[in-house]
Amino acid sequence: MAVCIMVIVKENYPFYVRSIPVENELKFHSVVHTSLDLVDEKISAMGKALVDQRGLCPGLLYPTEDYKVYGYVTNSKVKFVTLVDSSNTAHRDNEICSMFWKLHNSYTDVTCNPFPNPGDRIRPRVFDNMVTSLMTQVC
Amino acid sequence: MSQEFNRGPAPQQNKDLFILTYGALVAQLCKDYEKDEDVNKYLDKMGYGIGTRLVEDFLAQSSVRRCHSYSEVTHIIAEVAFKIYLGVTPSVPCNNSSRNEFSLILDKNPLSEFVGELPAGRSSLCYCSLLCGIIRGALEMVHLAADVTFLQDKLKGDSVTEIGITFLKQPEEKKYRRKK
Repeated sequence: MAVCIMVIVKENYPFYVRSIPVENELKFHSVVHTSLDLVDEKISAMGKALVDQRGLCPGLLYPTEDYKVYGYVTNSKVKFVTLVDSSNTAHRDNEICSMFWKLHNSYTDVTCNPFPNPGDRIRPRVFDNMVTSLMTQVC
Repeated sequence: MSQEFNRGPAPQQNKDLFILTYGALVAQLCKDYEKDEDVNKYLDKMGYGIGTRLVEDFLAQSSVRRCHSYSEVTHIIAEVAFKIYLGVTPSVPCNNSSRNEFSLILDKNPLSEFVGELPAGRSSLCYCSLLCGIIRGALEMVHLAADVTFLQDKLKGDSVTEIGITFLKQPEEKKYRRKK
């Protein structure tokens, strides 16, 4: 089960954070922060070889003792990072990628909301519900 | 605008730019006016201007016959006009209460597709007031006075979006009795 999903914008600050349980959020913040370097490293290593039409999915970034960290970068340099419980069986790459594509689609809908200024941290209900369903489904 | 009068059904076009433009318009009005009532009023006024002009294009494109009842008019608006311009067909429930009040029920409102919920402090904003103005302006150009308002709005938490049209009696239609 995914324990944390974070959306990081181009300026490298978290736009949206969601974690279960909520108390460990600070710990997840530091884990995701350290993984940002790895995302950049993997993307530059992949180069143009695996450019998907929607975004680059380097997949598993690194495993820690408790969690596995997965990353995804869109064409607009928005990064999605998710932490998954290590105790679960290994996930196939395309499962993780399809989860990220759903997140990406939801995110583009959120950015089309005309009211908040770009970069405002908001918690839109529809996006929240979608993330909840993804977090409980991936297992 | 209408070069060919017999275009047939409009091709499916990407409406995202239109939806985003409308969103930007409402957002700008919200920045310009503090009160929700003012924003609603100006959206309605703009819609009225659009409606008085759009009706010509609509009549040319659709070549509908003359309507003989308010119910026919409402059905034409729902089944032809909304279909052409927004790509959705609202349902018109049978309104038994009176013969000049009708509702258009929209399950999915394309204009507010990307707006999840109204922003804080704007709870009485009618996001799609423009539509009310358009319907009102169009009806007035065909000599039908009507009051068009939003009865239910999905953005405010209702289950559907409902537009109410109340046809008003025309003063010119009164028969003047000659004094005997």
